[in-house]
Amino acid sequence: MSLKSERRGIHVDQSELLCKKGCGYYGNPAWQGFCSKCWREEYHRARQKQIQEDWELAERLQREEEEAFASSQSSQGAQSLTFSKFEEKKTNEKTRKVTTVKKFFSASSRVASKKENQEAKAPSPSINRQTSIETDRVSKEFIEFLKTFHKTGQEIYKQTKMFLETMHYKRDLSIEEQSECTQDFYQSVTERMQTRGKVPPEKVEKIMDQIEKYIMTRLYKYVFCPETTDDEKKDLAIQKRIRALHWVTPQMLCVPVNEEISEVSDMVVKAITDIIEMDSKRVPRDKLACITKCSKHIFNAIKITKNEPASADDFLPTLIYIVLKGNPPRLQSNIQYITRFCNPSRLMTGEDGYYFTNLCCAVAFIEKLDAQSLNLSQEDFDRYMSGQTSPRKQESENWSPDACLGVKQMYKNLDLLSQLNERQERIMSEAKKLEKDLIEWTDGIAKEVQDIVEKYPLEIKPPNQSLAAIDSENVENDKLPPPLQPQVYAG
Amino acid sequence: MAQAGGVPCPEAAPGQPCVFKLVLLGSSSVGKSSLALRYVKNDFKSLLPTVGCAFFTKEVGSGAASARLEIWDTAGQEKYHSICHLYFRGANAALLVYDITKKDSFLDAQRWLRDLEREAPPGEVVVMLVGNKTDLGGQREVTFQEGKEFAESHRLLFAEASAKLNHQVTEVFSAVVRELLRREERKSQAQTGDRGLALTGAPAGQARCCAH
Repeated sequence: MSLKSERRGIHVDQSELLCKKGCGYYGNPAWQGFCSKCWREEYHRARQKQIQEDWELAERLQREEEEAFASSQSSQGAQSLTFSKFEEKKTNEKTRKVTTVKKFFSASSRVASKKENQEAKAPSPSINRQTSIETDRVSKEFIEFLKTFHKTGQEIYKQTKMFLETMHYKRDLSIEEQSECTQDFYQSVTERMQTRGKVPPEKVEKIMDQIEKYIMTRLYKYVFCPETTDDEKKDLAIQKRIRALHWVTPQMLCVPVNEEISEVSDMVVKAITDIIEMDSKRVPRDKLACITKCSKHIFNAIKITKNEPASADDFLPTLIYIVLKGNPPRLQSNIQYITRFCNPSRLMTGEDGYYFTNLCCAVAFIEKLDAQSLNLSQEDFDRYMSGQTSPRKQESENWSPDACLGVKQMYKNLDLLSQLNERQERIMSEAKKLEKDLIEWTDGIAKEVQDIVEKYPLEIKPPNQSLAAIDSENVENDKLPPPLQPQVYAG
Repeated sequence: MAQAGGVPCPEAAPGQPCVFKLVLLGSSSVGKSSLALRYVKNDFKSLLPTVGCAFFTKEVGSGAASARLEIWDTAGQEKYHSICHLYFRGANAALLVYDITKKDSFLDAQRWLRDLEREAPPGEVVVMLVGNKTDLGGQREVTFQEGKEFAESHRLLFAEASAKLNHQVTEVFSAVVRELLRREERKSQAQTGDRGLALTGAPAGQARCCAH
């Protein structure tokens, strides 16, 4: 359908612009070529028909699932058959996430497995099919698993179904409320098993894992990075932040890992792969398993480098380094999703919980990271962050001989340029200083002169003393011998 | 992040061992990991970590009072101080470790305590102050009396130990476990009014109403 309208957009024919029903008004591709009035009518009819179909389908699916549960017969065939139906129905479906659909559904309760119908309304058929196949596989496994628990299993199945149904109506609630609901469900099921079912603790744990897998595979699409939260914004923020920190070296973080050892660099690569893989998992516990796997590789890398088992002092910096190097996709969304929907006992305690907490710490650290935490001066940190320079530049002398000549030359030139830049800046600042000094000097002199002029005003006194009076004070004048008289000697 | 009060442990069903979470706090190289490793290694029943030594578990107690102790090591470097509160979530006990030959590490331990108390109200977490490296008594900078006085003024358990000589290590952990079990027992005996019970009782009530 959408393809058709696109094609129409290229070769516009006047007649094609009109309403398909021929009422004379213009049609709109968004309304399947009808005008608004005819579209409303058409849409309403289609919707009614679809609701009818959905009902039938839901009931049939419910029956099928119950049958599948009762007997070990595979429901795979029946499930895939229903898909051709879904495809048909999708042609009627124009806009995705039409709220009226939800309203219709919430009005018509007691349809237990409407979930499947919702699943089928995803925008892309290929993705949708894939999702559904996985959902089906998980459902089948879940049913098979519960069968080993006979009556308790049946009860758990019922409870889980009921929970999924309630969750469906709660889809419009905030994610925190949905999370709370899920946590409450985990707790109530655990309690029931322990008190009523008298299930031994290690089995309770196993069942809980399966329940989590089953419900979260189904809910994932609606509760992972939901539009109502700013998870996506946070994802982008941390991604950008990590990208801006690309220059951080293991030395700055004091990472006790020597990547020159090939075995170690293998471990580092594996750890990065694991942490990136986390995003592809749907069940919180599977995501946790990825983190744990990543952590184990980190421990191995440290152990090989240091020749002794790593402690937390070594582990956290290395994990931070791995996260910086890997820049895992949708990191915040994944953390939020795990926090909200994982069985809490797994997060607070246990090895998985420990590594998850470390990952949270690593992310918090990256968000807060500053010059001090890398043992850099604020100046250097700012320069690296702004991309003006890179710490690798200083190591240009130590470039391995096989490094590309051009790259070496480039770094040399960059070095030179930055030196020149520095010199120029120095000259500029000194010139300015000199200018300032000169101005200050002239001002200073002028001021000094002024001061002196003020202090000693120029007064010209009339000469009131005769020159003869110079020695008038000389009182003992008369005691002096008489001046020598010229004498004439005869002869 | 989400739920803060969902501490899973001690309300476990009868027959199921409790899980106690203990966090190791202290500056780097005061011997946090060594203490834990020494404690865990001495017991052949416990699960030894194959690669790292940052997370340990150990079965403690016996009979009805059996429990699993989980030891979470934390990064002690100064720069991680601001994020370490994430480790405190759901902790039942904390070991504040300092090096008796380094005055700074003792001051750091006091800072950890302040951080810890900001996250968890005093009294909810069993805290023990441990002065490590008594084998280096000659270079001592913090006296036994100083440590003891600080611990008493903040109502902490206190001991000095040496991970190297394996002196007092088991005693330190046993004291914490004993205190944890004692509190657990008191909590289960108390009927109402006890804060611990009220806290753990609340989610159960919610759960019941949500299941229908």
